[in-house]
Amino acid sequence: MLMSIRGVSKSFNGAEILKNVNMDIDQGDVVVILGPSGSGKTTFLRCLNFLEQADGGTMEFHGEKLQLASASKQAIADIRKKTAFVFQNYNLFANKTALENVTLGLTAGRGISKREAREIGLEALQKVGMLERAEYYPSQLSGGQQQRVGIARAIAVKPDVILFDEPTSALDPELVGEVLQVMKSLAQEEGITMIVVTHEMKFAQDVATHVVFMADGVVVEEGSAEDIFSHPKEARTRQFLQRILPEQFEMAALI
Amino acid sequence: MELDWEFMEETLPKVWAGAGVTMELTLLSLLLALPIGFYLAVIRLHGCKTLQGIVRSYVSFVRGTPIVLQILLLYSLLPSVLNVLVQAMGWQINIFEAVDPFWYAVVVFTINTVALLAEVFRSALNSIPRGQMEAGLAIGLSSLQVYLRVIIPQAMVVAMPSICNITVNLVKGTSLAFLMTVKDIMAIGKIAASFGYNYLEAYIDVFFVYLVLCTIIQIFYHLVEGRIGAFRGKRA
Amino acid sequence: METRVFDVSMLWQSLPALLEYLDVTLLVGISSICLGSLLGGLLAYGKLSRNPAGRYIAHGYTYIMRCTPSIVLLFIVFYGLPQLAEALFDWEIDDWHRGIFAVITFTLLFGAYISEVFRAAYEAVDKGQYEAAVSIGLSPWQSVWQVMLPQAAVIALPNFGNAVINLLKEGALAYTIGLIDLIGKGNLIIAQNFGAYGLEIYLACMLVYWVMTLAIEQGFNKLENYLAKG
Repeated sequence: MLMSIRGVSKSFNGAEILKNVNMDIDQGDVVVILGPSGSGKTTFLRCLNFLEQADGGTMEFHGEKLQLASASKQAIADIRKKTAFVFQNYNLFANKTALENVTLGLTAGRGISKREAREIGLEALQKVGMLERAEYYPSQLSGGQQQRVGIARAIAVKPDVILFDEPTSALDPELVGEVLQVMKSLAQEEGITMIVVTHEMKFAQDVATHVVFMADGVVVEEGSAEDIFSHPKEARTRQFLQRILPEQFEMAALI
Repeated sequence: MELDWEFMEETLPKVWAGAGVTMELTLLSLLLALPIGFYLAVIRLHGCKTLQGIVRSYVSFVRGTPIVLQILLLYSLLPSVLNVLVQAMGWQINIFEAVDPFWYAVVVFTINTVALLAEVFRSALNSIPRGQMEAGLAIGLSSLQVYLRVIIPQAMVVAMPSICNITVNLVKGTSLAFLMTVKDIMAIGKIAASFGYNYLEAYIDVFFVYLVLCTIIQIFYHLVEGRIGAFRGKRA
Repeated sequence: METRVFDVSMLWQSLPALLEYLDVTLLVGISSICLGSLLGGLLAYGKLSRNPAGRYIAHGYTYIMRCTPSIVLLFIVFYGLPQLAEALFDWEIDDWHRGIFAVITFTLLFGAYISEVFRAAYEAVDKGQYEAAVSIGLSPWQSVWQVMLPQAAVIALPNFGNAVINLLKEGALAYTIGLIDLIGKGNLIIAQNFGAYGLEIYLACMLVYWVMTLAIEQGFNKLENYLAKG
């Protein structure tokens, strides 16, 4: 087991956003978290990288167990060095070129030499098809290109797991495909472990090894993509899928 | 109305010679105020409640009162305070003769500019989206590293137009240094004016010199902004 | 020179005498703001107009004012305007009240500052608003007056408040041409005491200004919140 998360809870201003959420991730897993907006899935993901501090819960990572609410600065820094995060709105550093965005975590964060970082950075940019844009600033790139650089930035640090927070939600529809394609190839060809919060059902069906359906701060149902999409057990899961995938759902019901 | 052109021609170089003092006063105050102002901005954003309150009151007081009163107040206060200090140290120095009023002017304009810059830096730092910090933390940088490499460089570009404004206003503000008997552009013009009662001519010369100085400063900032703000360029 | 201890009681004692002259300070300030707003409106109109001459004049004027120290302009107006009036119209205005020269100076300055505020606010209103107004049959003038300007005014409000505060602070310079306003009176009190109590009097003046600034800030904040809701 790569990562084992138990009992995560979190409230904002008295409203419970997460209630006792558990999750297990194995090496090479692609866990897709689905759920209506406000279900707490993004908050959960952010808690894993301490961008949000959970009120309770534990994380066991590489056999080391720590309390999410009271982790030391050192422990947080360690977790962040072994994980990476891809943001909904990319959050590329506006004052750095694409390549600098990718190498900053290597040079400043991990003390890797500039030359080596550059090689790793170029390789990462190549994997996402952004090699030709290495010297461009974020303001000169389209949303899809920025997100691909965001993904390159994440894979360059060779993390044990990458957390994707709705990586295609801010993109124009015609740009979604290029980003999903990159993510798919990372999962299937590189075997990178991912936790992905998304609304892209096709991606979940094709790539996920494990699908988690969340609503109102709890995990309602989880299982393989096949389980969740074809034989959802819970009424709430069915309702959700029916709204998101009406056509497919009707077809499945007919068969 | 007949302007005394000959007088104006004669006086212009004299007034222009005061530009050196004006610029020294401006640059010195600005260079002293930049780090202090930045530090106060950081306190306003991350300091403890008490310090935040102190900084806020300071900024509010300085920004809420006319600079001419700040000059009059500090010019009657500083020499006496220094005098008390010197006497307490047992030194045999006559402060009222030993200290060039230029330095009082530097203190006054630094105090004033610090408050303005603190406000500019605070809002510039605030204007950088939170996601920049999050992204930096997520790739394993410390918050100090993110500050130094990502947030401050961006905030500087955001702050640049305001810093330009502050500099232009500072140059103009130093025209009041004559109240402290500093021999800047304005003071020289004033002396020339009252010498032959050619008030209008002298002040038109003064006006002209300030116009040139401010233009140079604005061109300078424009060039700097173009350089350090290159990353904001239009889509290629 | 003897170093005297700070006398707080003098600060409080002088306040009533000083406040008697606050009306002069306010009158100069408010007159300049009203007249300056008219000038600023005119300049903003020039900047937004299609007429290149109007644009150049308005932008040039603003640029020059931006580069002119208030005290220099004040002296130019105070010493130059009587000469100009005499030469052009044979008017004798030397004995005009000094407040008038102050108002003229600060009107010229405020007009330049505020024209930028007006221009930026007008340009910040979505042009679609104008198009929508014209499309439902309003005349261009009606569209500007009834749709564009009210929205621009709300946008301009915070910067207008700042400009008002700045103008009142600049107005403090009026004492240098001999106007007996708040600071002028303060200097008189200091002179009556043979140069003593400078600290106390100046600090008292600063307190008056500080309170005034805070009050104006609050006022504009309230107005802004009120308009943001409505």
